[in-house]
Amino acid sequence: MTTPLLEIRDLSARYGHVEALKPTSLTVAEGELVTILGPNGAGKSTLLRAVTRLTPGPGAILFKGRDVSALPTHKLSELGIILVQEGRGLFGDMSVRENLVLGAYNAGGDTAEIAARMEKVFSLFPRLKERLDQKAALMSGGEQQMLAIGRAMMAGPKLLMLDEPSLGLAPRVAGEILETLGELNRQGLGILLVEQKAPLALRLARRVYVLSLGRIVAELPSHEIKSHHDLARYYLH
Amino acid sequence: MIDVVQLAQNLINGVGLGLIYGLIGIGFCVIYNASGIVNFGQGVFVMLGGMICATFLAHAGLPIWLAALVTVPVVALIGVAMEVAIVRPMWKRGASIFAIILATLACQMLIEQVTLLGLGDQPRTFDSFTPGGPLMVGGVALPYQFFWVLGCGALMVAGLWAFFTRTRSGRALRACSQNAEAAALLGVPVRRMMMLSFALSAGLGAVAGILITPSQITAYNIGTPFGVNGFIAAIIGGFGSAAGAVTGGILLGVFQALAIALLGASFKNVAALSVLLVVLLVFPQGILAQIKTLRSSRR
Repeated sequence: MTTPLLEIRDLSARYGHVEALKPTSLTVAEGELVTILGPNGAGKSTLLRAVTRLTPGPGAILFKGRDVSALPTHKLSELGIILVQEGRGLFGDMSVRENLVLGAYNAGGDTAEIAARMEKVFSLFPRLKERLDQKAALMSGGEQQMLAIGRAMMAGPKLLMLDEPSLGLAPRVAGEILETLGELNRQGLGILLVEQKAPLALRLARRVYVLSLGRIVAELPSHEIKSHHDLARYYLH
Repeated sequence: MIDVVQLAQNLINGVGLGLIYGLIGIGFCVIYNASGIVNFGQGVFVMLGGMICATFLAHAGLPIWLAALVTVPVVALIGVAMEVAIVRPMWKRGASIFAIILATLACQMLIEQVTLLGLGDQPRTFDSFTPGGPLMVGGVALPYQFFWVLGCGALMVAGLWAFFTRTRSGRALRACSQNAEAAALLGVPVRRMMMLSFALSAGLGAVAGILITPSQITAYNIGTPFGVNGFIAAIIGGFGSAAGAVTGGILLGVFQALAIALLGASFKNVAALSVLLVVLLVFPQGILAQIKTLRSSRR
């Protein structure tokens, strides 16, 4: 059996006295796109925060078989674990260029490497090249999401995690963004996607975890979820 | 009747002092930008800059340039020690920002008392960097030290601008100020950045202290007044921007000088606080932020 790209075992997290994520286990294989679905407050974002140690909690996090649960957040980026946060987490007062350059922080000051990574990002999102000197805060929602994903790609991810990338976007733009994620996955990038827009996410993923009330209530192939009705059954689990 | 030459002289003095306030104000902004903490111990770095440099000059016989070069890193290290020993442990234990701010004030008092015990209560000074002078222009005396303050102030602002916009660490510091979590997710060591901000801020305070000592003297207890005026300068400028802090500092220095010329020296602090009140009433986000808002609304 091959070692998963990401494996979490009994990972939990709490905010004060509230256990937002109960002991949870899941895996993402190399080159796999896995989706986590669940209603508001199910613990989806907390799960990603726990994996990236923004909200640390007990449990094991193995990346390519190596236990990384004791590492601080900034060290995970060096390994290639990158999270695009809900709300995008852009540096709004900085230009597109500065945001992208910061994305490659783990490349040190290697300007040739940074330039090469930037060209790859431009091939994914040509619009960013036209907006290089624009402040991130002044871009449209779709452009901001492109920048957030582009910045994450600048870090050279091996596992890209995204928290609700389609949130607040027009359906057409959200579709474009998710199509790009599908393309990145076809190129071999492992992706863990938290998404409320179930139909779009299910089209991309082969495997789905359903999270409800802080615990995984189902793990199933995406084709087994045919309708919102199917999902609602799990949410009420 | 106001003597015009005397008024011009006071204005020149005010600009010089205002630049120093501006440098101290930048120190406040650097730490605030990286961490959200207002370091009320900022003034103590000014005092340490002057006192340590004076000690190197008097007891080690170093030339001024060497004494200054040694003093700045020493004070920067004291800033790092403050972050490591006081701020970081409190931060890790989840202390509120207000508690940390209060701790920086306590730290200032502690360092002042240690300085009093170690170096005594005698005020100290040293000669201007360039002997001779002053330069006389239309009856107004321009001390050579004024040009040092002007030149070093401009150099520091330009250097900081280049640091924050052109270097990896500078950009990372700005990123931490805007979204520390996002910065950490990209690999920026946020805690180390905070340490860097204390070092930078303390170094700036030391430079201000070294520049001002030939014309203002220094003593163990000058940190508080300089710290307060630097804080006012930073607020007038819109707290966060280096150019704003310098603008605020010059404005404050000039108003203080005018108050001394027109009303007497005892009105200096009244003038400072009045300027602060008026600016906050008219431009609640600071002068520079207001100008930026006006510019963008005209576009």
